[in-house]
Amino acid sequence: MAVSTASMAGVFAERLGPDRLIVDPGALSAAAIDGHTPRFIVRPASIDHVAAVLAIAWDENLAVVPRGAGTALGLGAAPSRVDVVIDLTGLDHVLEDNPDDLTVSVEAGMTAGGLAERLAGRRQWLPMDPPGWRRRTLGGMIATNAAGPLRARYGALRDLVLGVRFVQADGVVTWGGARVVKSVTGYDVPKLMVGALGTLGVLCELTLRLQPMPEAEQTWLAPFTSIEAAQAFAARVVNSPLQPMRLELLNEAALRVCQAPSAPFGVAVAIGSAHPAVREQGEALAVLASGEKVRVAAVGEDLWTRYDAALTPAEDEVILRIGSLPSRLADTVEVIERAFPAAERAVLITGCASLGSLRVAITGADVETVKQLVEEMRGLTADFGGAVVVESAPTNVRAAFDPWGPVEPAALGLMRAIKQEFDARGVLNPGRFVGGL
Amino acid sequence: MPLTPAIAQELLRILGADGLVTTPEGRMVYEADMHTFYKGAPDAVALPRTTAQVQAVVKLCRRESLAVVPRGSGTGLIGGAMAPKGGVMVSVNRMDGVLEVDLPNRCAVVQPGLINLWLTKAIGDRGYFFAPDPSSQMVSSIGGNVATNAGGPHCLKYGVTTNHVLGLEIVTGTGDLVRVGGKVVDGPGYDLTGVVVGSEGTFGIVTAITVRVLHTPEAVKTALATFASITEASEAVSEIIASGIVPAALEMLDAAIISAINASIGKIYPDAADAVLLIELDGPRAEVEAQAERVAIICRRHGAVSVSVAADEMERALLWKGRKEAAGAVGRLTSSYLLQDAVVPRSKLPQIMREMKAIAARHRLIIANVFHAGDGNLHPLICYDDRSAEDLERAKQANEELLAACIALGGSVTGEHGVGLDKAKNLPLQYGEADLNFMFRLRRVFDPAGLMNPDKLLPSHPACGEGFRPKRPVLPAGAWI
Repeated sequence: MAVSTASMAGVFAERLGPDRLIVDPGALSAAAIDGHTPRFIVRPASIDHVAAVLAIAWDENLAVVPRGAGTALGLGAAPSRVDVVIDLTGLDHVLEDNPDDLTVSVEAGMTAGGLAERLAGRRQWLPMDPPGWRRRTLGGMIATNAAGPLRARYGALRDLVLGVRFVQADGVVTWGGARVVKSVTGYDVPKLMVGALGTLGVLCELTLRLQPMPEAEQTWLAPFTSIEAAQAFAARVVNSPLQPMRLELLNEAALRVCQAPSAPFGVAVAIGSAHPAVREQGEALAVLASGEKVRVAAVGEDLWTRYDAALTPAEDEVILRIGSLPSRLADTVEVIERAFPAAERAVLITGCASLGSLRVAITGADVETVKQLVEEMRGLTADFGGAVVVESAPTNVRAAFDPWGPVEPAALGLMRAIKQEFDARGVLNPGRFVGGL
Repeated sequence: MPLTPAIAQELLRILGADGLVTTPEGRMVYEADMHTFYKGAPDAVALPRTTAQVQAVVKLCRRESLAVVPRGSGTGLIGGAMAPKGGVMVSVNRMDGVLEVDLPNRCAVVQPGLINLWLTKAIGDRGYFFAPDPSSQMVSSIGGNVATNAGGPHCLKYGVTTNHVLGLEIVTGTGDLVRVGGKVVDGPGYDLTGVVVGSEGTFGIVTAITVRVLHTPEAVKTALATFASITEASEAVSEIIASGIVPAALEMLDAAIISAINASIGKIYPDAADAVLLIELDGPRAEVEAQAERVAIICRRHGAVSVSVAADEMERALLWKGRKEAAGAVGRLTSSYLLQDAVVPRSKLPQIMREMKAIAARHRLIIANVFHAGDGNLHPLICYDDRSAEDLERAKQANEELLAACIALGGSVTGEHGVGLDKAKNLPLQYGEADLNFMFRLRRVFDPAGLMNPDKLLPSHPACGEGFRPKRPVLPAGAWI
């Protein structure tokens, strides 16, 4: 039965308190997602609030979009409908902190920057640094499987999330995983939630594995005149006992915005370890570079600060995440550079050279050019199981083609079945995920 | 449903004459894994060589409503690879090939029956290794490691199996062949690879695995620290971890295990010790040197009687030989033991070791300990006399109390062995009804007919049954209509 907005507002206000419901038209239109203006914004203060909101939404068949810092709303397809935006930034408390175990349990609306500040004093961190990470919420980073240069050493968020408490589409509060660093009790539910874009549940509490910060850190930059040479150098580093924290490829434009020494390509290598080990690895790095006939230069750690600032997504930017392979970096990059000749437009190419995972940021490109590039890239990477996902783009770009790209039909069938099992009514983020889920 | 002669014929047609075991003595071999408490022989054992055969067998079983039980080497410790409901066991030992080695991209594609250590042997001379190293790695299959999400001593630094699996080919309970993940990271969609690892064959049968392989570290240093009290050793472990050092391995052996090992294998560890820590550091040479010094200082600060470093590869191998053969050496202490692998937060090790002592005393039992101290993953061997039913009862009671103590400290029921038949009943210690129900429903997606490895992993609990409705927030019904 259809329910009027006014009486529904009464219910939300009753459950959460009137100051946790926003129905001001200006605020609602500012919260529009791809042109869909929500009827309500709710600002829960507890997981029970989230559960109450979802129970109502389920019963009334309202579409719900969970939102953290709101920095990744340009990921995925446009939602098919939006009734309620759940603003999770009020869930920002530390629930249990175990410094000696290198674990922490936090609410999902806490920002990565907030957590970092708390941990820095004891030299621990959650080593996850997608550009703009300080502002982002941890729940949002996990829901979108965000990653940055540190992934070269520390893995992805799937490797760092130990436990999750989430609210299912119908309002049932559910826990999966463990609070300890090692557990195989039951299914690995946290893995299912990482990168699921909140389509199976709204993440509310997270137990995270922390890492000790290295005693010392130093970054070197190796300049290259060709992408082939840059790839060959990265391959030498990978095929060596060196253990870089970051092994980041940057093209000329990316080097420029990071205010790094100019070159057609650069590979930035960060080593973190005990002091003498950093020095020794730096020397070993120089030897590897000489194999490609280049010299590495030490650059300050603030390179990564500039990297973070320069690559934080802007609203009109198109950002692609390209799953390639370390052995295919050169032809992947060549396709991108051919689509956007440097003279015409600055395209920032960065990415983890040891994983072959690239990030491409394009400003002001027309939709057709982006679409052609994505299609060409998908054709190229399909041979080895690669993928091109639009990580962020204006609505009109994402409407022009499938921002996720194809998923193998049998696997997509399973994903559909999982979504159907846990959210048959399509309450959570309807239409935004792969295959229109 | 029973396995009729007609179905057996059809299985034979799929698998060939040497691909099916149906004789009673042949089937008996497969009635248990290494947890020999639990016995259940399958009605037939399929020995496929190809993915197509696996798929055909699963489809046939689905049509005939026969249970399907996947099995690798049968070295699991949880009553996982046995057939309590009969049906068809699918033993993947013959699918033991390395399909591809791709070192530039640091990965390999293997079949599920491949023995764990064989992969490292295949790539070791080129400077690479496969990191997950369960103590059974000479005999356990990578498919089995994937099923249980196996760990091992070096998982402290390198992570467990799931952290090294990039992609899978799986025949699900519906008989569909699904490829998930692969060499390339970040494919779009749910992380099905992540959720299939550790599902203990209840989602389907894995037929190919893409794994990450790592470059061999430049240097390795193995130290032995001897303590006069296991509490002090536990405190040393906690401080090493808290200090920010991540050793490759950090293993604890207590007095009972030390005496058993020294008696059966030869004098490897100091007899007088109440506990020893086996500490391995690896990585860049200078880092290993610096960390070794700090570790030695921490151990001494916590009362270590001695800290010695293996001088060469032979000494190192000997230190590890004792550790890896510990479970076998326990035969010196006892005719039988119960083994579990609960986890506690690392900082709670001193506390759980004290509680364990009290539990052992209360039940007049020897509990021997050899475990992955660095990640708080206990392996108590609760010794009992298998000729005495009363002894066994006391051992079981001690086991349950210990498990409850671990959970009360914020721990987990199992760290690396898995759930199987053995620990399914314990899941409600760690998960509530809604959590169990979520898992039950997830399983049903992969295996709607409930034929894949029945009775394993999830308990028989109302929340794991059809029609159960977990609690939702109570709403003022109809108030707004």
